[in-house]
Amino acid sequence: MDKKQLTELKLQATRCRLNVLRMVRAGGHGHIGGAFSAMEIVTALYFYKMNVDPQNPRMPDRDRFILSAGHKCLAQYAALAEKGFFPKEVLDTYGSLGSHIPGHPDMHKLPGVEANTGALGHGLSIANGMALSLRLDGKPSKVYVVMGDGELAEGSNWEAAAAAAHHKINNLVAFVDFNGLQISGRVQDVMNMTPIADHFKAFGWDTVEIDGNDMAQVVDVLDRAPLSDKPLMVVAHTVKAKGLSFGENDVAFHFWNANEEQLAQAERELSELAASYEKELKGE
Amino acid sequence: MIGNYEDPRKVFGKAVGDLAMDDDRIVLLSADSGKSSGFGDFMKAHPERYFEFGIAEQGVVGVAAGLATTGKIPVFCAIAPFVTARPYEMVRNDLGYMGQNAKIVGRNGGISYSDLGATHHSLDDFGLMRLIPGMTILCPQDPNEIRSAVKAMIEHEGPVYMRIGNPKIPNLFEEEEFVIGKGRKIREDDSVTLITTGVATKAAMEAADKLAEQGISVDLIGLPTVWPLDEEMILASAKKTGKVITAEEHYAYGGLGTMVGDLLAEKLPTPLKKLAIPNTYATSGPYDAVLSYYGLDAQGIAKSVADFVK
Ligand SMILES: Cc1ncc(C[n+]2csc(CCOP(=O)(O)OP(=O)(O)O)c2C)c(N)n1
Ligand SMILES: [Mg+2]
Repeated sequence: MDKKQLTELKLQATRCRLNVLRMVRAGGHGHIGGAFSAMEIVTALYFYKMNVDPQNPRMPDRDRFILSAGHKCLAQYAALAEKGFFPKEVLDTYGSLGSHIPGHPDMHKLPGVEANTGALGHGLSIANGMALSLRLDGKPSKVYVVMGDGELAEGSNWEAAAAAAHHKINNLVAFVDFNGLQISGRVQDVMNMTPIADHFKAFGWDTVEIDGNDMAQVVDVLDRAPLSDKPLMVVAHTVKAKGLSFGENDVAFHFWNANEEQLAQAERELSELAASYEKELKGE
Repeated sequence: MIGNYEDPRKVFGKAVGDLAMDDDRIVLLSADSGKSSGFGDFMKAHPERYFEFGIAEQGVVGVAAGLATTGKIPVFCAIAPFVTARPYEMVRNDLGYMGQNAKIVGRNGGISYSDLGATHHSLDDFGLMRLIPGMTILCPQDPNEIRSAVKAMIEHEGPVYMRIGNPKIPNLFEEEEFVIGKGRKIREDDSVTLITTGVATKAAMEAADKLAEQGISVDLIGLPTVWPLDEEMILASAKKTGKVITAEEHYAYGGLGTMVGDLLAEKLPTPLKKLAIPNTYATSGPYDAVLSYYGLDAQGIAKSVADFVK
């Protein structure tokens, strides 16, 4: 991928982060930490890799995106809006009665959402079923999953891990957003799930470790998948609340009750970043 | 103090923590949920009786059963659907069937996690828990009742499910001893019986005031124990008024209304109306807005009662 393409993707990720702030402004709060840590992954999927069509969101050959850690939905909403799945004005309804973008994603309310997640530990099994079905039907589609690292404590994930390897579901690519934090503190203090890659390897997966906030590395791994006839687990080392200068790697920003001062600061900083990418793209 | 607003989670966590300080049978369990359940102080004072398991609710229920087999009294508190619907079979077999003395507490219960959507609503927890033989269901109506219910829950021998909410709620009643299975007669009157539980009681009390102005006199029963029902109090009231209406933050199927309906059908057939959330994946939004959307605020309850007695 050339430098220009990479800058374009970084610009998209920044615009998506600004969309997240727009929703937080509307609702007054939101799960920002996990949304921002996963933003490069979600952006690369929607704007680089996945075969999806906002005009035809249920196109049978589409790739599927399953947000197992449903509380990161601000990231997905941001990307879907940027991609044109729904008008951006919908972002301003976050938190209001009957909104199409509730605090966890609802496939019956928003085009582009493939599963109703929010109760952690469901996504990987749903993805297994989708991937098996697509394979049975001879479709070229891939299924992409984003999970949290704290989420890995749910036993249901390990049922899914065994099943994906057993059935050689290699049209499946899963990411663990390894930001090291959950609600109560550091994942290694709450319930240590490391070494994550070794666990999945032992279950029979291919594994790759990347810097999940480095767009070039995310793109690269997406281009390489699948590595073999095994499912691929990407352990993406990230920073929780990445891009929120005052909130990075701070467990207090798992769920943010935003105050005006900080919100305005974040909007300013990310707008400046977007402008600098735009400038770079214009060759200035 | 009556009218004083308190955070139900903090009230609950402190009440459990205070008892646990002096009773080393009590152990507190967390699924990445303990701090938000008000267990922070106890955790620091007695880390040896505070266990964190990460986000693994099914496993925690099994652990609770194991701890209880040797005389410990485990208390596990997390978001209501994740301690009821998710580990349902573990609660049924490991706690119910095995008859273990463990306490499961669902916080942010009912529809109080309103804007987080249907995955985070618990509108089936009464129904699910009631189907487990030997289970007791508590749903205190104000902070004072939470305090006294915690004490009763710990003293009770056997599995208990208690539901508490999320936003601050006012004290409605003086603190007094909590007797499991006993209802609270909030208003003594004769034209219609209104039965509520949990935070719906405050709205029902306000509705009863409005209705009194319209000449409709409500016999108001608040049930801080949802199951087993206070049959005596309900039947006596139904006999007097001949009309029963229930109001609760639960589905109309399987909740308090259904339990009251079962009782009346068997022992004293009486017209019954159930005010609850319809059988749907409820909409999201601000808590008050969602409650009023489903007619569970004071105004909605008053209107439904007035229509019912007409
Ligand atoms: C079954 C279930 N239990 C508990 C929760 C509450 N919860 C929401 S987010 C979260 C922490 C998630 O941590 P992690 O997976 O590391 O996500 P991230 O750091 O990316 O936000 C918890 C416990 C839930 N949504 N589902
Ligand atoms: Mg995490």
